[in-house]
Order: sequence, then C-alpha cells, then structure tokens
Amino acid sequence: MMNLYSYLIISLILFVVGLVVMIARKNIVAILLGIELILNASALNFVAYSRYVTNNLDGHIFSLFIIVIAAAEAAVGLAIVIRFFQIKETIHIDEATQLRN
Amino acid sequence: MNQTVVSYLSKYEFYDSLLALFGNNQGVLAFTIYLLLALIIVGMCATIGGLGTYAERKISADLQARVGPNRVGPYGLLQFLADGVKMMTKEDIMPFTADKTLFYLAPLLCLTGVFATLAVLPFSGGFIMADLNVGIFYLVAISSLVGLGVFLGGYASNSKWSMLGGMRGASQIISYEIPVTISILAIVLLAGGMGFGTIVGQQGGLPHQWFLFHNPFAFMAFFVYSVGALAETNRAPFDLPEAESELVSGYHTEYTGMRFGFFALAEYIEVFVVCGVAASLFLGGYNIPGISIDILPIQAVQFVVFMTKTLLLYYVVIWIRWTLPRLRVDQLMSVCWKYLTPIAILNLMGCAIWMVVFNGKSIAELVLGGH
Amino acid sequence: MFLQLLFISSALLTVLCAIGVLMVKNIMHSCVFLLGSLLGVAGLYATLGADFVAVTQIMVYVGGVVILMLFAVMLTGGKDFISRAQNLLGLPASMGNKLTYGVGLLVGLVFVLTNIKLLMGIAQTIPSKMINNEFPSTVSQIGHLLVKDHVLAFEISSVLLLGALVGAAIIARPRKQN
Repeated sequence: MMNLYSYLIISLILFVVGLVVMIARKNIVAILLGIELILNASALNFVAYSRYVTNNLDGHIFSLFIIVIAAAEAAVGLAIVIRFFQIKETIHIDEATQLRN
Repeated sequence: MNQTVVSYLSKYEFYDSLLALFGNNQGVLAFTIYLLLALIIVGMCATIGGLGTYAERKISADLQARVGPNRVGPYGLLQFLADGVKMMTKEDIMPFTADKTLFYLAPLLCLTGVFATLAVLPFSGGFIMADLNVGIFYLVAISSLVGLGVFLGGYASNSKWSMLGGMRGASQIISYEIPVTISILAIVLLAGGMGFGTIVGQQGGLPHQWFLFHNPFAFMAFFVYSVGALAETNRAPFDLPEAESELVSGYHTEYTGMRFGFFALAEYIEVFVVCGVAASLFLGGYNIPGISIDILPIQAVQFVVFMTKTLLLYYVVIWIRWTLPRLRVDQLMSVCWKYLTPIAILNLMGCAIWMVVFNGKSIAELVLGGH
Repeated sequence: MFLQLLFISSALLTVLCAIGVLMVKNIMHSCVFLLGSLLGVAGLYATLGADFVAVTQIMVYVGGVVILMLFAVMLTGGKDFISRAQNLLGLPASMGNKLTYGVGLLVGLVFVLTNIKLLMGIAQTIPSKMINNEFPSTVSQIGHLLVKDHVLAFEISSVLLLGALVGAAIIARPRKQN
C-alpha cells in the first residue's frame, strides 16, 4: 500500500483540488488557498520520488525551497489582497480589472 | 536514528521478559509502553498545570502580603481540584452568533498544540517519549498551534473583546516567535544538533558547563529567549490578549465551563513547557553534577533535577507577573521588532564567530585550560 | 504497522480536508480545512522519512501562512461580497457558481487523464528499488547539501525572502492622505 503510486495519487488529488479551487472560487484569498494546495502537491511529489526512486536528499532540498517560495508568495499575495481591498472594498476577483489607480 | 523511550528500555533485561509477556509482539509492547507513558505525562502535566493556578494565587498572595487560598485541604492545596470541579459542572454557553465549528475547535487546538510538545520534552535521559533529531524544531513548530487556537477563539466568539484579544494574541505570538527561534538557533549551533538528547548531552551538571555560561552571546540569548517565551505564552507583562482592564478577558471572554478550562490549562502547561525548554537548553537540563553512569535509579534523580530547575523558572515567571506592569500594544511591537530581533540575530552571529575563533571552547574551558 | 496507520490517517486527512477547502462556502472554514490538509501532508512527509521537511512544513504553514491567511480574511471583512462586475459569459458573478465548479472539474479531469497517460509511459522505466524501512537522520545531510551543493539556490532564496518582506511591507502600507 505504501508505495510511490499511492503518494502520486494523493498528490494528484491535491493538485486537481487546488486547480478547481483556483478556477471555481471567486474570492482572491480562496485562490491563494488553491495555490498553496498546488505547491504542496508538487513538494510531496519531490519527496516521494526522492525516497522511492533516487534515494538521495535532493528532493527534500527542493521541497524546502518550495515551502520557502510558498511562504513568500503568500506574504506578497496577501499584501496585494489587502491593498486591493483598501481601494475597491471587495476581494472579488472579477473586480480586479484595472492596472492603474 | 531517533531515540525513543522504547529503544531506551530495550537496553535492560526486563524488557525481554516484558516482551515474552506480550507474546514476542514488538509492536503491541511498544504501543503499550507509549500509551502508558503518554497517559502518565499528560496526567502529570495536567496536575502541574492545575497546581500552577494554586501556586500563582499563593505566590501572588505572598508578594502582596496576603494569605491566599487556605480553606480547601491543607494550606488550600486542593483549591485547584475545587476549581476544576466547579468548571466542569458549569453550564456550557455558546453565543448565539458564534461560529459553531470554530468555537468548538479553538480550545482543542490550543490544548493539542501544548500536549504535542510534551512528546519531546526531556524529563530525564530515558524518560523522554521520543528524542527526535529535530526535537527543538518540532517543539517550536507544533506550539504555534496555540497561536492559531487563540486567534480562532477570538474570531469565533463574534464579540468585540474576543476579536481584539484574538488579533492581539496572534500578532504577538507570531512576532515573538522570531526572536525566540533565533535564540534557540544559537544554542543549536553550540550543541551541533537539534535533538534534546544531543543538546543536553553537550552540557554538564555544573554551572560552568551549561550553555548559559558558554559564552557572552549565549548568556544574552537566554534573556532574549525568556522575554520572548513570556510573550509567547501570553504571560504578564505581555498579557495584552487577555488584558482584564481593557478587554474583559480577551479571546476567552465568551468561553465558559470546561472550554475556558481548556484555555487556562493550555496556558499553564505551556508555561511549564517553555520553562522546561529553557532549563534543558541553557541550564544543563537533567544532568547531575559529577555522575555520568546510566542506570535506572539515576533516571529518577535526573527527573528531580530537571523538575527543580523547571519549577524554579516557573516561580520566576509568576514572580514577574505580579511585579511588572503591562505593556502597551505599540511598546509590545517595538520591543519585539526593534530590540529583541536585532539582539537575537547579533547573538546568533556572535555564537557562530565564537565557535570559529575559539574552536568551540566555552569560557570556563579557556580559563581553566580545557580538557 | 504504525507507519501504515500514520500513512492512512495522514492520507485521509489530506484528501478530505482538501475537498473541504473546495466545498465549504465560508472562507474562514476553508482556511481551517487548508490547515488540516497541510498537517496531513506533514504526516505524509513523516512516513517518507523526511523529518526535517515535515517539521518545516508545520512551522511555515501552521505558524505562518495559515495565520496570515486568517488575518487577511479578517482584514478584508471575512465575508464574500456580491460583485457588480459580470464575468465573461455575462452571468452575474457569484462566489463560485455551478458553472465555475463544472468547468473546474472538467479541466481537472482532462488534466488527470493526460497525466495518467504520460505517467504510465514513464512509470515503466522507473527501476524498482529495495526500500529498507530504516529512517536515518536527514538533518545533518540536509545541512551539508544546503551549504555545499545547493548554496546558490540557498543564497538566492534569502534574497527572494528579503524582497518579499520589503515588498509586502510596502504594498500593504496604508496610502498617505495628501
């Protein structure tokens, strides 16, 4: 039961759910949640391959960097969300139609 | 390899007879040992948390020249049991507009975060559930569930006091996590490992072998850690999330009965945990001066040594609470970001430079000629 | 035995909570479900013997990202606003209607089928190795790898984090009233 394929299937489910969240939800914060799920799916894949295929720790390093990037992305994304809310007073993605002012 | 209590016990002969008792089933025996030990540790720490409330009232009474609780049991010792029974029999009220799921979830998250840290706390050389090789990192990580519980409790109550308390609590906890983690990192640097076994094993029983007196930067790191830990556990003078004079009682204003009890218990056990971490990181942990043999009765002495150090620190925490006035919110943030964080980073760099320049020797080793 | 129990519970937690993120309307509950999903992924890392990555996952996500998300939800009102804008099909855009969920699921299914097709080809070329159940400590090895083989990526990520820190502070700063 615990083999590469079960991890890949879990990661696939995470990825698809993240993708659907990104497409279906209209709340910008919810879209960020979807991105987190997708990044986690990829990081899980790296660690699984690292254990079952290559047997070294490069996959771990990769998923550490993915976690770092996810944190940076969340910080900047949420800053943008808050700024957007200050201007538009909504966090609906369809309202984000202007590039300036 | 990660050491656990099972792998420690398997060094002794009686483990084999126990194994025979369980029909040579390693898994079931390991599970039984873990279960028993988990029950013991949780029960012990819940008692310590309960006695903490008693100690708090008694010590504060002492500092203010009062008598304190003295009616229930000898010296009022059973006061915490009476309080516990009172809490359990109280009506469980939930505000009508509260977010039900999160309202139920928040106290449990707090309690989970605190109890999960007990798994790696080194009570003695063998009496440690799992000596993970990421021990201290795991402890710092899992205890951030408490911040989440505080925040969700504040949000879910749907009252202004709770909301303000929860926001303050979460911002305070995630801010002060930074200086605390960096100070711990300085000690990890000195010890050369993140497991509690490694960290405590690198120190000795006598004060000059402790990491506290290893070098001046580690000495400063201890105080940065203490201030940060006080703030992380929402203790005075950093108890802004539950400031009685401004916010009624902050994030747990709307909680009654046992749910409030969970929050209070989590807070007192967390104070115990951070004191234990300070004792094992800086004050030599369970090391007994002059004894290095490893037999089973020694474990009991080690346990006593650890508890003595931890409870002394616990006393200091309560002492500070009843001595210092509360900070303002802006002062709280400027203490963290303008003072503690730069000092902690300087300590980390100082420790690294010390390790290179003096080849990892402590002050005592340099003065006394080293071994 | 323990490992399999941990695997099953973590996998169930991950998948069910991920579906919870998708299905729940309340954005605050979505964040809490995301927390469960991320904790499940940390458990999966633990079953793979990646102790350091698992703890880093808990540290960064539970202590940082999820609390940040909850803060953002609270600072932006905590509820969903009805948009005045219309989407591409001229429908009133609500907080994810049947159409958006349908399109999302369809895209997901296409993605899954394509990937399975691709993966099946690759999977036959992967050599099946004997996995021993010993989990050596990864901490010191990761430390060595970070400052030896991957030092460039390490340094670049520190610059990235600094940039993200300053950028987030500047973007979220309240506008000056002039």
